[in-house]
Amino acid sequence: MNHDEAEPGLKVVDAFDLDDELRSLLKPGELLRDELGRRHRLPRYFYEIPSHEIALNMRLTSHFAMNELVLNDLREAPRLQQWPRYIPCAVRILANYLEQFRAAAGASVHIAVNGGYRSPSHKHSQYASAHMWGTAADVYRIGSTILKTRDAIEKYNEIAEDVSDEIRVLPYGHDVGKNADDHVHLDLGYVTLVPREISEDRMEQPQEHRPRFAFEERRRKERRAVVAADSET
Amino acid sequence: MVAKAQRLPVPPPQDSVAASEVSLYRNLLKIKDEHALRDLGISFYDAETTVQWSYNADAWFHAASTMKLAVLLGVFREVDRGELALDAPVHVRNRFTSIVNQEAFMLDLGRDADPDVYGHLGKTLSVKELAYWMITKSSNLATNLLVDVIGIPTIQLALDELEIHGIKVLRGVEDQRAFAAGLNNEVTAHGLLKMLRLIAEGTAYSQEACDEMLDILLDQQYRSGIPAGLPKAARVAHKTGNISTVHHDAGIVYLEGRKPYVLVILTQFPAEQGRGTAVAEVSRDIFNTLAGVVYES
Ligand SMILES: [Zn+2]
Repeated sequence: MNHDEAEPGLKVVDAFDLDDELRSLLKPGELLRDELGRRHRLPRYFYEIPSHEIALNMRLTSHFAMNELVLNDLREAPRLQQWPRYIPCAVRILANYLEQFRAAAGASVHIAVNGGYRSPSHKHSQYASAHMWGTAADVYRIGSTILKTRDAIEKYNEIAEDVSDEIRVLPYGHDVGKNADDHVHLDLGYVTLVPREISEDRMEQPQEHRPRFAFEERRRKERRAVVAADSET
Repeated sequence: MVAKAQRLPVPPPQDSVAASEVSLYRNLLKIKDEHALRDLGISFYDAETTVQWSYNADAWFHAASTMKLAVLLGVFREVDRGELALDAPVHVRNRFTSIVNQEAFMLDLGRDADPDVYGHLGKTLSVKELAYWMITKSSNLATNLLVDVIGIPTIQLALDELEIHGIKVLRGVEDQRAFAAGLNNEVTAHGLLKMLRLIAEGTAYSQEACDEMLDILLDQQYRSGIPAGLPKAARVAHKTGNISTVHHDAGIVYLEGRKPYVLVILTQFPAEQGRGTAVAEVSRDIFNTLAGVVYES
């Protein structure tokens, strides 16, 4: 693939190649403590999303568009609210689990603002959380059910846990970070994805030629379809 | 009430001011008595005549929703400093933290109670939209979201910097734990008057900021307070405040052909009594005194 491609897929970037400001905000490869003091290394490879329009139209799976997973409010660093935006490559894996969760729940799954990827510079990013790896989602509504009661949250927590052993949910409760009372939080842990086109022998020197990659070619067409089902307002 | 004239005359001659003050004072006592008010606080400033007048204006009242004026001021402080953009998106979420023990609480509301804001749950509204609904429909959800964004210390700082001493903001709205602990926002009539005067005069941060605030305040949808005592043509930039035992209104009154006057009316009444029309009656009396004419009721 070359850079002049008329309809490029999403570019994969090594965050060490980004400008100083972006690097300082995304903190690629840095170790971050979780609430229990365990340290986790932040992701380094990101998809570069050029525009809001592309985020809206770029499907990760048949019911989840990129946009829902990069939607933040003013608590995200201002530079990271500008386009292009960056999201860890592991978000693809999350989307596949979300798709399975949607099927198991039997209704549309709505991710809250600030409920997908949050950078380590986001105001809600006090401790390491899977949101900074792009592998967590806060779901505030399923079908027409707003998740604000113990009953609703526990019901969908159970459904999420039954989808896969990889999924962790936060129990109902009022302590931020430890449990949730107005959404279902589900995450896959600190998963990072190294795209197969990347050679990991390179340390932190910027590469002269940045590679441009897409998802697998065969899935491109599907991803560009306009999202219908889950994008109603 | 039908106004005989909607254009106020030129400033009244000075010698009549004293006489009208006496009659105004008598009327207010009568209103206070008739409505069995526990407490009444009034502050008034007329930019046209520079007449100032007050009654019990340094007494502290439960602020109720008049505290939202202070939140508005805090928001524009941050906008003026470039810390906040009016079009910045804010996640609409019904989950807040009490100032007591940092306990989580939610507002008791549904789509019907606050459709303009609650209808966006899980999505975003801009800072400006939230400010608009906070004032015009007195949205508690919008208020707490903005308090969350700028923080209580910033609001108090904004008041201190502008030397507005009669407004104390400790918390957002519907923080029941704080209410039970006796931690409430409080205002005096002088405090609210000072703030509104700065906005009316274009000296709170910048003319541009004041114009934005005025635009919002002029769209107020609750009009049973000060506007109910005025001719229909009057435009009022104001904010009401109601809880079970208080009914306040604080506003800037624009009448054709003259500079505005600023009026704050704070009332407290017994819980069993319910809110009456005292605020509107005081507003009408003050208007009548200013106009120097009596209106049919
Ligand atoms: Zn979460």
